[in-house]
Amino acid sequence: MEISNTSVKEMSYREAVNELDTILREMQSDNCDIDRLSAMTRRATELIAECRNRLTATDEELRNILASLAPKAN
Amino acid sequence: MKRDIGNALPGTEEQTDGKSMTISQLCATLQKLVKVPQVTDVWVVGELSDFGLRGGHCYADLVEKDDDGKPVAKIPLRIWNYLFNSLNAKFMSGTGQPLSTGIKVKVCVAPSIHKLYGLSVIASDIDPAYTMGDLMRRRQEIIDRLTREGIIELNRRLAWTDVPTRLAVISSPSAAGYGDFLNQLFGNEAHIRFTVKLFEAMMQGEKARPTILAALERIAAETDRWDGVVIIRGGGASLDLQCFEDYELAAAVARFPLPVMIGIGHERDITVLDYVANRRVKTPTAAAEWFVKRGESLLNRLNSIGSALLQRASDIMAAEKEQLSYFEGVISVFPLNAVRHADSRLVNSINSLSNLTTRRIVPALEKINAMQTQIEHAAQSALTMQRDRLNADERLLKALSPQAVLARGYSVTRCDGRILTDAATVENGAQLTTQLACGEIKSTVS
Repeated sequence: MEISNTSVKEMSYREAVNELDTILREMQSDNCDIDRLSAMTRRATELIAECRNRLTATDEELRNILASLAPKAN
Repeated sequence: MKRDIGNALPGTEEQTDGKSMTISQLCATLQKLVKVPQVTDVWVVGELSDFGLRGGHCYADLVEKDDDGKPVAKIPLRIWNYLFNSLNAKFMSGTGQPLSTGIKVKVCVAPSIHKLYGLSVIASDIDPAYTMGDLMRRRQEIIDRLTREGIIELNRRLAWTDVPTRLAVISSPSAAGYGDFLNQLFGNEAHIRFTVKLFEAMMQGEKARPTILAALERIAAETDRWDGVVIIRGGGASLDLQCFEDYELAAAVARFPLPVMIGIGHERDITVLDYVANRRVKTPTAAAEWFVKRGESLLNRLNSIGSALLQRASDIMAAEKEQLSYFEGVISVFPLNAVRHADSRLVNSINSLSNLTTRRIVPALEKINAMQTQIEHAAQSALTMQRDRLNADERLLKALSPQAVLARGYSVTRCDGRILTDAATVENGAQLTTQLACGEIKSTVS
């Protein structure tokens, strides 16, 4: 398996999760390449961070969104 | 002025002259005439229209429609305030909704004629089962039609994206349910980020149908911006769900290209939309919870992938370390073993060599020894033989030697050192030397 060097920012969420699955499978296989273990782990960490980033927002962001959406009636 | 016109009878004191009667008299007479058993406390069915409440009294029209929905008969219906609350409560508990325009009802009525308001029927009881049955029948008709047209499952078959966080909401901005939805959605503990846009629509009454259809159309024009549609209302006291029991609305939801979630009422409020929408939730809060849960489960999946990766990586490292330490252990022992091994091989070689010596060299040595003896013997006998021969030769030599011949009386005569064998060769005067066995004789030839 080639470790992709596509920027995680440019990937769709689905692509990122699929790549995570691939890396995990590779690492769980019997012929996991030790020389690439740290590269794989680093890539996986990046992917996880990016996915989590896309899913979640900071407190402040959430407050702002909520404020902009709140019914004007109040 | 008399208050009870019901007592007025034709030809009584109200009559102004012998030929005419006042309208009041006429109405009073009619009122008497309609109070007959044939039309008193009879059950009548019709659709409510222009439903309204004034001073606690209910004013509406009871309408009869033909198959095309065209009114063919109409009569005003009144429910006086002393009865309205109990009848409305009975109706609500049986149908899950209050009396309102558009609902078909079966009411027990008696006619009444009022001098100002004319003919109306006054309700004394209501049968919610009829309305329920009618609702179910109408809903079933819509469902049957959608099924026939093969579209009832369309929206339900759509799959939500992995992360439905971009939501087009159809609601009324002032609806309490919309606020509940937003608070639940953005107050989620996992901090999942949602994008929400409100597409305003009326969520009750006759305008609900056209405004919701229009909102759906506006969303349909930008489907790539949204993961799904959420139609919500709720929180309000009035639960007029009739407006949602509509074929066109149901068909629009069924055909909608994005999954639609419906949360327009409380637990028991079901409309035909609940049969066609991708998901049905009880309340706007529950709608938001569903999206939050979905986001959370994705976050959990990320976390579990993360910990699986970590676990796996450390497992691999541990296994490699174990292997390394195995090698280390082996390496410290290995040379020693190798030396021992080589040593024992050497010993073996020596042993084999000595075996070889024993087996091969000893016999060879023995052979050599034997040969030596043989050679000694042979030499000995050769020497003996030679000595014997020498002795014999010596004896022969002795017998043949000039000395022996001389001894036997022979002599040797030399002239000038030359042995003489012919007398003719000697001249006179030559000096001769004759050798005898003992001594010599010198002589001169004469």
